Amino acid sequence: MSKEKQIARRNQDTQLKIWNGAKVSALFLLMTIIAVILLFPYVFMLNKSLMTSSMVIDPKVPFFPDFSQLQWKNYVRLFTTNVQGHTFGQALGNTMIIIVFNIIAIPISASMAAFAFAKLHFKGKNIVFAAMMLTIMLPGIVTQIPLYVIYSKIGWLNTLLPFTIPNLFGGGALYIFLIRQYMMGIPNELIDAAKIDGCGYFRMYWQIVMPNCRTILIYIMVNVFVATWSDYYGPLLYMSSADAPYTFAYILFKNFTEGDVAADLANIRMAGGVFMTIIPAIIFVIFQRELTDSTVTSGLKG
Amino acid sequence: MEKALLSALSPRHRRKTNQFTRQEAIAGWLFVSPLVIGLLFFTLLPILCSIVWAFKDYDGFTVNRFIGFGNFIHMFHDKEMGKVWANTLIYTCVSIPLNLILSYLLAWLVNNNYRFTKVFRVLYYFPCVIPGVVNGLLWLDMTDNTYGIFNRMLQAIGLPAFPFFSEASTAMFSLLLMGIWGVGGGMILWLSAFKGISPSLYEAAKIDGANGWQRFTHITIPMSTPIIFFNLVTSVIGSLQYNGTLVIATRSGRGIDDSLYLYGVKIWFTAFKDGNLGYACALSWVLCLVISALTLLLFKTSKWVVYGE
Repeated sequence: MSKEKQIARRNQDTQLKIWNGAKVSALFLLMTIIAVILLFPYVFMLNKSLMTSSMVIDPKVPFFPDFSQLQWKNYVRLFTTNVQGHTFGQALGNTMIIIVFNIIAIPISASMAAFAFAKLHFKGKNIVFAAMMLTIMLPGIVTQIPLYVIYSKIGWLNTLLPFTIPNLFGGGALYIFLIRQYMMGIPNELIDAAKIDGCGYFRMYWQIVMPNCRTILIYIMVNVFVATWSDYYGPLLYMSSADAPYTFAYILFKNFTEGDVAADLANIRMAGGVFMTIIPAIIFVIFQRELTDSTVTSGLKG
Repeated sequence: MEKALLSALSPRHRRKTNQFTRQEAIAGWLFVSPLVIGLLFFTLLPILCSIVWAFKDYDGFTVNRFIGFGNFIHMFHDKEMGKVWANTLIYTCVSIPLNLILSYLLAWLVNNNYRFTKVFRVLYYFPCVIPGVVNGLLWLDMTDNTYGIFNRMLQAIGLPAFPFFSEASTAMFSLLLMGIWGVGGGMILWLSAFKGISPSLYEAAKIDGANGWQRFTHITIPMSTPIIFFNLVTSVIGSLQYNGTLVIATRSGRGIDDSLYLYGVKIWFTAFKDGNLGYACALSWVLCLVISALTLLLFKTSKWVVYGE
């Protein structure tokens, strides 16, 4: 449609050109205003993270930090800040352990099931698949209480086990479904040719199908990273004791929701917020191509 | 998604009569065995427990006895439930249409090919990559009565201070206001719907003399219905379970005078603060039934959804 617009514009006289120019400027202005509104909180967060402690309790509430003395050291202080006997540094370590485990375990365990669903024929496959699809529709809220009790009975509470071990077993129905849809697009001729050459099923999965699933696997790894990174609710359920291995999102949550929230430490909290934001933002930028690839989410439509 | 599910379930197995069939079956079961174990232990077992406990007075440790429908009957006597349902319904019924409309307007604004538009699309999506904890932290700070920048700005333009989350009457409004910052997610969905509409439809309509409004109501809206439907179903399911107020509302997610006490928080509170696991399970099954009924209703009344051209 805009192409037509461009052609039409070329043929029109200068008056219309001015009118069009005004329209584009108005559009640009409107978009800028919306962007300022939507980004205002996050710019303010960044600004506040660089303020001195006396500035954050200034009742005038300055928007900009003192540019002559930006407090980058707030970010250093963040990692040694102690919340109920835990530092943000330790918490980051715990988060990283979970993330490293999950971004390896989930793509592998999910793709194994997906491979069987997409490329193998066996009795009972449809039943397992239907059972799995039903769990997508089941609200997560139904299983969370029994899981809490089960984890407490087997001694998993206040450890990292609830956040890692269950992911070895399937890794999530939605992920399996997405990989399956993607694998269906891989020609069966490839599989049949491998079969004729006497290739085993595991090699078929690992050396023929998996290398063709790069895009969807990256898509899933990014999603797993971001979901694990920002999860405060899991630890809120399964970490009640003071010596539990707190994660970064959870310690930040505890820091501003519980106990005495010191007003003059708002800059440190904001530094925590900026740090929590910047990591997923960087990952989104790096993997933008995989994340916006329409083949990845095509399984969700229609 | 439902189409793919149906096609996967349809009984057209390709009967393969070669010597690999048996081997293939063994391989297939080996590949899905982790998933099957996972489904049994982390889904089926919890579901069964939850069903049984819903009919029990159970605290996870000492108290453990059957009380029939006691938990379900208790819901009608539970004084908090009225407030919880009202809050949850207000939140669901306002936030979904609000975000659908605002994200449509935003998508419409950025649905052009000017070079600067691309940058704005990324900027508008940015708030959606912010973790929920950070949003909670940030909004609590900005809406603070003493040190909050919002009230400072209102003051600067001569308006009275607004209490935001610190007063029951304005808390829900503030929560909905906060939700507007996530409008970029809906924008992306709308844009992908627009992209799927063939330009030839618009050209044909133009030749037939349809004006802008007619093209909108007769082409853009009908052709976007699958996305609207998908969005509607997922957001109904999500909003009814929403417990994001845990990070923003005082009193462990309930808010002043329970003004932000949502169903999802009520379940969490009942189970983990009151230790009444049986009642919490019953509550979660009722929510599950409501969600299923609503989803079914949406699917049953989905004649307005247009698939294909």
